Amino acid sequence: MTALIDARTLADRTTLDTDLVIIGGGPAGISLALSLAGSKLKVLLLESGGVNFDPAIQKMYSGAEAGVRYAPLDAGRLRQLGGGTNHWGGYCRPMDAIDFETRDWVPHSGWPISKRALEPYFPRAQALVEAGPWIYDQKGDAENAGAGSVLPLNGGGLYTSWFQFSKMRGDVLPTQFGNRYQEDLKRAPNITPLLHANVTAIRLGTNGKQVERLDVATLTGKHFTVTPRFVVLACGGVENVRLLLASNDVMKNGIGNQNDLVGRFFADNPIPRDVATLVSFAGPLAPFYGANQKLPDGAIMRATFATTAKFCRTAKVAGSLSTIEQPVDLDETGKAAVITTAIALGVDASNARTYSLGCGMELMPDPDRRLTLAGQKDALGLPRLKLEMRIADEDFARFRRTLVELGRQLLASKAGMLRINCHKREDWLKNMDWGHHHLGTTRMSADPKQGVVDGDGLVHGMGNLYIAGSSVFPSYSASNPTLNLVALTLRLGDHLKKVMA
Amino acid sequence: MKRRSIIAGVAGASAAVAAGLYRFTDIFVKHYPPTPYDDLLVQLVDRQQAAALGAKVARPDAPSLAAELRRDLKPDSLGATTEADVAAGRLMEVDGWLLPRTIALLSALASKV
Ligand SMILES: Cc1cc2nc3c(=O)[nH]c(=O)nc-3n(C[C@H](O)[C@H](O)[C@H](O)COP(=O)(O)OP(=O)(O)OC[C@H]3O[C@@H](n4cnc5c(N)ncnc54)[C@H](O)[C@@H]3O)c2cc1C
Repeated sequence: MTALIDARTLADRTTLDTDLVIIGGGPAGISLALSLAGSKLKVLLLESGGVNFDPAIQKMYSGAEAGVRYAPLDAGRLRQLGGGTNHWGGYCRPMDAIDFETRDWVPHSGWPISKRALEPYFPRAQALVEAGPWIYDQKGDAENAGAGSVLPLNGGGLYTSWFQFSKMRGDVLPTQFGNRYQEDLKRAPNITPLLHANVTAIRLGTNGKQVERLDVATLTGKHFTVTPRFVVLACGGVENVRLLLASNDVMKNGIGNQNDLVGRFFADNPIPRDVATLVSFAGPLAPFYGANQKLPDGAIMRATFATTAKFCRTAKVAGSLSTIEQPVDLDETGKAAVITTAIALGVDASNARTYSLGCGMELMPDPDRRLTLAGQKDALGLPRLKLEMRIADEDFARFRRTLVELGRQLLASKAGMLRINCHKREDWLKNMDWGHHHLGTTRMSADPKQGVVDGDGLVHGMGNLYIAGSSVFPSYSASNPTLNLVALTLRLGDHLKKVMA
Repeated sequence: MKRRSIIAGVAGASAAVAAGLYRFTDIFVKHYPPTPYDDLLVQLVDRQQAAALGAKVARPDAPSLAAELRRDLKPDSLGATTEADVAAGRLMEVDGWLLPRTIALLSALASKV
C-alpha cells in the first residue's frame, strides 16, 4: 500500500527512477495507471494538482485566445487530480465506426486504427466511467423500461441514439476520477502517485530519439528529476502541446514537431443552442428526449438524434448529435405552419408540443485552428499557450443539411416538423457553447508526415514517449470523448505491458 | 373532396381549436370572396392560416404560382401531393419552417388573393 505522496515533501534535487512515468492524473492518466496496477512495472504518476482545487495551480493553465469566441484556456479544464472529470457532464457515447474512417468529404480524416481495435476496451472503459450496463443503441431499452416511446423517424438519415451517463454513489454525478480512484491508486503496490508535481520539461538524449529524464517542480520551489524507461504524456489536449513545444532544447521545434503538426488541428465539439424548433404533432415527447432518465437496470440515458453512416456518406456531412433542449412557444407564423401542414398531412396536431433543439457537432479538421507558444510564462517558467480558434461556414452548412433531413423525416413519418433557426454565421455563433473537448493537437497517423503519434500512441521518431488522451484523435466524431479516450488508453496499457516486458 | 380528406381536414381544424390556436368561428363560418384560383385554394381547409404562412414566401405573383400548382396539384390531392413532396425531398424553407413544396406554394397563393 502506497499513499498519495505530496511532492512538496520530497527532498530538493531528488532523482526518482522508474519504469514508466505517467504525466497527468486525469481520466487518461488514472485509467492507464489502474490498467497497470499489479503488473511488474514500477509506475510513477505525476500530477500537477492536489486532491482539491487550488487557484494558484489552476492559474498555470491560463493562456490567450484569438478568433472565434471560446472558453478561456484556464476555464475549460481543471488542474487537479482527476483533471476535467472534476467538472464534466458525464455524457458518454462510443464513437461510431465511420468516425474512424477516411471520409473523402472530410479533409484530413481517418484513423490508423478502426473502431474494432477499441471494442475490447469499451467494457472496462464503461466500468471506469461508471455508466452502467452497455446498452447504447440497443433499440427499445428505454422504451421497454416504460419510459416512453421513441419518435418515429421513418428510416432516413437520422435515428434516435442514446447517451449514457457516468453516475453513482448517492447523489454524486458524475464520476470524478480523482476522488473515485485514489484508494485504488494507493492500494496498487507498483504505483506511486505524486501530487503537486509539475513536469516542466521533457529532456531528450542527444540523438533526440529517447526521453532521458523529466524536470519536475513544485510551486513551493522544489525541483527534482525523474529518469524513466518509458513516458506517457497524459496532460489533456491543450497541455500536451505546451510540454512538447516547450521542450525544445534538443529538437528545436519541440518534441514530435518535425513536421510542424504539434498544436495544429485543435478541435472541440461546438454546441450551438436553439438551432431548430421541433414540433411533435402527437404531444409531449418521451421524457428521455429532454432530460436524463434513470432506468431500473441502473443506466441513466438520454436520447439524441444521430446521423447514420449511410446518410453521412451520401449527404457528405460530418457527425452530429442533436438533442431536445426545452419546450418553447410558437409565434403566429409557426402556428400557421403547424396547422396548415398537419391538416394537409391528415394529422391530429391538437396536442402538439414544440421544443428547441441543440446540437453537438463534429468539426472538420483544420490545420490553422491551432495552439502555439506565447511570450508570457507561468509561475514555473513555462511559456503560455495561444489558441487561434476557428470554425468554418462549411461546418454549419453541413450540419444544416442534417437538420433538413431531420425535418424531412419528421414530415415523412407524420410525427412532426422542424424550423431551422440559424441562417447566417452570426445566428450559429450567437448561442454557441463548447463541449470543452480538447481534440486533435497531437494527431494519430501511421504516416509520420501526417501525424504526431502512430497507431499505438508512440510519438513518431521517439523510442519511449507515448501520448494518451483525445489530443491523438485525428478526426473527432460528435460523441463526447472521455469514454473513448479511456478505452484508447486501456489499449495503450496493454501495448505497454508487451513492449516493456 | 374525398371523404378521407374532409375527415382529416375537420380533425385538423378541430384539433387546432382544441389547442386554442384560433377561434371556432374562424374555421367554420369563413366565406371567402371568389378568386380566379378557387380550384386550387379549395384544397386548403384553413385558408386564413395558410395565408399567414404564405405571406412569408418570397414568390412573385399569383398567376405564376397558380400555373405551377395547376401543373402539379390535381383536384382533391393535397394530402397525396404533400406526401409525395416529402418522399422526394421537395421541401421549401419558409421563415425557417421546412415545408412540403406544394404546401408552401399553395399558402403563398392564399396570401396573394
Ligand atoms: C465543463 C466540462 C464538461 C465536460 N463534459 C464532458 C462530458 O459530459 N463527457 C465527456 O466525454 N467529456 C466531457 N468533458 C471533457 C473531459 O473533461 C475530458 O475529455 C477529459 O477530462 C480529458 O481527460 P485527460 O485525462 O486526457 O485530460 P485532463 O482531464 O485535462 O487531465 C490532465 C491532467 O494532467 C495534469 N497536468 C497538466 N499539466 C501537468 C504537468 N505539467 N505536470 C503534471 N500534471 C499535469 C492536470 O492537472 C490534469 O489532472 C467536459 C469538460 C468540461 C470542462
